[in-house]
This record gives sequence, C-alpha cells and structure tokens, in this order.
Amino acid sequence: MNGFLLTVGLILCFLVFLVLYRVVFGPGVFNRIAAISAVGTKTLIILLIMGYLYNRVEMFVDISMVYALLNFIGCIAAAKYLEMGKE
Amino acid sequence: MIFRKDDIIVNTISRILIPFIQLYALYVIMHGHYSPGGGFQGGVILGASMVLLLLTRGYDEARYKFPEQIATLLSSVGVLIYAGIGLLCLFVLGNFLDYGKLAALLHVAPAHARSLGILGVEIGVGFAVMSVMYSIFLDISTGGILPEDEEE
Repeated sequence: MNGFLLTVGLILCFLVFLVLYRVVFGPGVFNRIAAISAVGTKTLIILLIMGYLYNRVEMFVDISMVYALLNFIGCIAAAKYLEMGKE
Repeated sequence: MIFRKDDIIVNTISRILIPFIQLYALYVIMHGHYSPGGGFQGGVILGASMVLLLLTRGYDEARYKFPEQIATLLSSVGVLIYAGIGLLCLFVLGNFLDYGKLAALLHVAPAHARSLGILGVEIGVGFAVMSVMYSIFLDISTGGILPEDEEE
C-alpha cells in the first residue's frame, strides 16, 4: 500500500509542474487562476498521502483542510479583484 | 472599495461556510497542543473568515458586523491577555510565562496549570492575530480612506 501511495504522490508532484507551466505562460488571467486552484488541490492530496506515509493522518488532515480553505478564499479574492477591475 | 453584489452562488456559499470556518478556527486554537496549529494559525483562520465576509458581503455590512474600532480594541486586548498571563507568573515568583507557578492561584496540579496557561496565551494570540489581519485587509482594500473621512 505504501509503495502505491508513494507512486501516486510522485506522479502528482510531476503533474504539479505541468500545471505550473500554465500558471507561468498561460494566456489570460482565468487560465492562471484555474491553474493555481488546481495546484492547490494537488498539494492537498499530496499532503494527505504524506500523512498516510508518516502514519500521522489525523495531523495532516487538519493542515490539508486549512489549505483547501485558504485556496478557496484566495480564488474568491482573485475573482473579486477582476470583477472590480472592470469598473 | 468592495461592495455587495447579488451573486446567489457566492452569497449562499459564504453564508453556509463562514460559521464552519470560525468553528474550525476555534478547534485549531483550543486543540493546538495536540495537533498542528495554535494561537497564530487559529487566528489566521478566524481572520480569513472575516476577510471572506468582507469580500462577499461588501464593505458596509462587514463594518456593521465587525467595526474596525472593535478590531483595534480586540488586538490590544489579545496582547493584554498574553502579556497579562506572563506578568501574572512574575507576580507569583516565577519567570515570565512560567505557567507552572500559576498552580498556586488556580488550585490545580502544576501540569494542569501549565496546560491552562498555554491555552490562555493561545486565546490571546488568536484574538490579536484575527483583528490585526482584519484591520490590515480593511486598510489595504479601502486604500486607508474610510467613507466618514471623506465626508468630513
């Protein structure tokens, strides 16, 4: 089970870099916001997998919940900023 | 300046989510000595819930629910709780923030007093961090100019 989780975690780490390309070079702001949100979601899953690997899931669940929360609020803030920019 | 928009998705999500965020922040503060977290992290989550309120409900309603005078007051009260517990330990002949000496005042075992002292300090830090986060966000989002200032 640990080997499987480690493989999934490493694949997700690789995918984060693919999404990071969209953050840096992506055309338009909306692509960047969506890509940053995807990076946050992947980081959350990587944190949970790390929790399983270290046998401290109950600790890492707390951290990943905070991460999801701040990701959501950051997304709302960026959308609000774009909405106000039109005025 | 942020004003309220009649966006049903954002309004409903924020109305459902804000109480749970605050409950989770209180859990992070109170449970800080068993799991990651503590005063600062819990205060940041509380401040994030206030920022979400300000972002979704607009400036007027957020200021009605949590005025910045109260934010200023709470930041000072938080520091007062923190430093007050530290000074209280000095008065019972301990070091600064030496909670074990508080056992004589609280009539409990020293280990229990240590746990209670840490909890009090974390509550103070949480208050201070929450209100300072909210004040900083309010000042940045309004450019430091509040509507009453413009009227004068």
